[in-house]
Amino acid sequence: MTKIKWLFIASLIIVLLALPLFAACPSTTSPGAQATLYVGGCFALTGAYAEDMAASLAGYEDYIAWVNENKILAPWYPDKTIPDNVTFEVLWRDDELNVDKVLSIYEELKGKGLLVERVSGSPQALALMDLMYDDRIGATSAAAGPYLLTPPKTIFTNYPIYTDDCAAFADWFMENWTEDRAPRFSFLTADNAMGTSVVTDEMKAYLEGIGYVIVGEQYVPLVPTAPPTTQLLWLKDNGVDACFGVMINPGSQPTVKEMNNLGMGPGQAYEITFGCATPSHIQVFISAMGADGDGFCVAGGYASWDDPGNGMTFANDLLAANRPDKVGAMHIMYVDGIVEAMTQVEAMRLAMANTGKSADQLTSADVLEQGFYMIKNLDTGGITGSPLTYGPDDVEGADEARIQQIQGGKIADMGTYPCRHIYKK
Amino acid sequence: MGLPSGTFNQSYAQDMAIFRTKTHWVMLIAFLIFLFTCPLYAGDRILTVMTTIGITIISVLGLSILTGYCNQISIGHAGFMAVGAYTSGILTATLGWSFWAALPCAGLMAGLVGILFGLPSLKIKGFYLIMATIAAHFIIIWFILQFQNLTGGGNGLSVPRPEIGGFVLKSKASYFYLVMIIACLGTFFAKNLVRTRAGRAFIAIRDNDLAAEVMGVNLWAYKLLAFFIGCVYAGVAGSLLVHYVAFATVDQFPFMNSVWYLGMLIVGGMGSTIGVIFGAVSLKLLDELVTIVGPILSAAVAPQAAASLSLIMRGLVIIIFLIFEPRGLAHRWQMVKAYYRLWPFSH
Repeated sequence: MTKIKWLFIASLIIVLLALPLFAACPSTTSPGAQATLYVGGCFALTGAYAEDMAASLAGYEDYIAWVNENKILAPWYPDKTIPDNVTFEVLWRDDELNVDKVLSIYEELKGKGLLVERVSGSPQALALMDLMYDDRIGATSAAAGPYLLTPPKTIFTNYPIYTDDCAAFADWFMENWTEDRAPRFSFLTADNAMGTSVVTDEMKAYLEGIGYVIVGEQYVPLVPTAPPTTQLLWLKDNGVDACFGVMINPGSQPTVKEMNNLGMGPGQAYEITFGCATPSHIQVFISAMGADGDGFCVAGGYASWDDPGNGMTFANDLLAANRPDKVGAMHIMYVDGIVEAMTQVEAMRLAMANTGKSADQLTSADVLEQGFYMIKNLDTGGITGSPLTYGPDDVEGADEARIQQIQGGKIADMGTYPCRHIYKK
Repeated sequence: MGLPSGTFNQSYAQDMAIFRTKTHWVMLIAFLIFLFTCPLYAGDRILTVMTTIGITIISVLGLSILTGYCNQISIGHAGFMAVGAYTSGILTATLGWSFWAALPCAGLMAGLVGILFGLPSLKIKGFYLIMATIAAHFIIIWFILQFQNLTGGGNGLSVPRPEIGGFVLKSKASYFYLVMIIACLGTFFAKNLVRTRAGRAFIAIRDNDLAAEVMGVNLWAYKLLAFFIGCVYAGVAGSLLVHYVAFATVDQFPFMNSVWYLGMLIVGGMGSTIGVIFGAVSLKLLDELVTIVGPILSAAVAPQAAASLSLIMRGLVIIIFLIFEPRGLAHRWQMVKAYYRLWPFSH
């Protein structure tokens, strides 16, 4: 028995001595030596956004492979070169949209030397905001809730904040309103933090200011398990002309299908126009709905796959080279991955140029202050509504929101409308 | 509980003691030394994982009292955590209270809301009570979203970090100590509670509520007491969680968390305080393992191979435990201790 006790104590001592090995030991390399910089962060491959995030991750991987091969930021940026000794690598983890998990992933990736971050959804962004500010880490984001505008601001979006999408939709609708009476507006949005983030006093004040009558709001589950008949009939009963919300495709598609069933929509028995902010991707919508989705609008979205601009041509080329089976069938968030990865690479490239430091000397604070905050008019080749500009008080990269509508089973570009910067806190 | 040969109880106090031999005390002290020296050699990531495990343990301890000991199955635990989280958040962020005053209020408020939603337990049980507690979760979240001016609604509420005399508990290590101290106290209280009159009443209700009532156990009072205590734990855990990330949002308390908390009880062992710790630690570490394995699997198999891996693994583990070890890891631990005690004559 005594032997066992000593064995136990010896084991305990060994464990205690071995524990310091857990501590992160940063490696050092001499300047000029080959260095690896990491991009990426959290991707919610589990949950409602799984498909979006998988496509975004694919965009990251293909773009980074291209950058490593060509050593420039993008085909239209031959002057923005990457040092030959620098290689980028994508580092990612599935956070499952789980706040507990995102905290430990954040620490793990930070420990591995990721100088930037990526947040995949609103709960993650909210949970990491303060931490990232304290650690001086800048992040790109696939979520664009108004809370990003609340200081501290270190999370950067490449598409407009949802409230600005709503304002752009409202501006466009009002521009095309021909009746004498004021149009009646209602929110029809997802019943979660992302969806309700557009229903703010500032948003209502803006809508009333430009001449809308606010009727109220209706909520549908993020992924409806039954048609939102009650909500839609409420819109009809209250004479709503335009409604807007933040939904993902699994929410907006059944909503529009039910609208068709109830004879609601442009050119139908009951005239109403329904618009959604970017997480409802019109490119995904049209491939699933075709002409059944006629009249549906998306604000703040990416260019369509057949857009002749540099950005979408580049995305199509990457897709053809790396995933030929996905050409014509890839989720549009693939281009989000390209734009986010480009933003992270540009932030690190600028940080190296502005500080004069080599890749292995860079800190996350350098990348935030001399990188992200210094990105001005970053041309995404027309993928985003406008070139991206960031600064300490400007985390909303695009200054204009693109309005797209399904017309005759095709995506019609209705123009871009300025971001009104509705949300102020 | 088995003891080494030659150890006899000579008084009621000895019989009831949690730590009864020098070995027990040595192991406890060694564990506490190990636990509280962790910040000296563990990195931020490990401290983060341990802190979230600590918060989970506090929450699941409450569920263990409610479900494991009193058999009042609740799937609204994440909702009760949200009550504590928002109470504490509002008191500190809006009314400027100290965290130390807000924390007990968070527990108290969650406990009171627990009593409210525990009222149906007097009339219904089993499957029907599960449905009632599910409803509790969604009603709570609905209220939080409606009172936007107070709670921040969907945009959440920024809450301050705890302070002690001007020292802000901002570092990983300082918050780790706070959580671990509360987790240790919570564990000690839970362990003791089940040895009290109330604890024995809970167990009597669990084993046969009709027989318990016949014996004079006041079902009405004890069921509500179990709800109150269980939800106080949940409220404290919720408060600790939002002050850790300095932000409160309803998305921090998804419904599925309540289901996984029950899963932790199954894996750890229902009706066992040590089982709570085993269950929370094992499922949380499983999560960590899956997170690391995910990208490797994706690279080797297919890009989306890692999707939902964690949910699958957790589900599988729960199924395996339900089939092969329904009494959970706590029972395995008892077997290991018995083996150690009898070694080398374990036959």
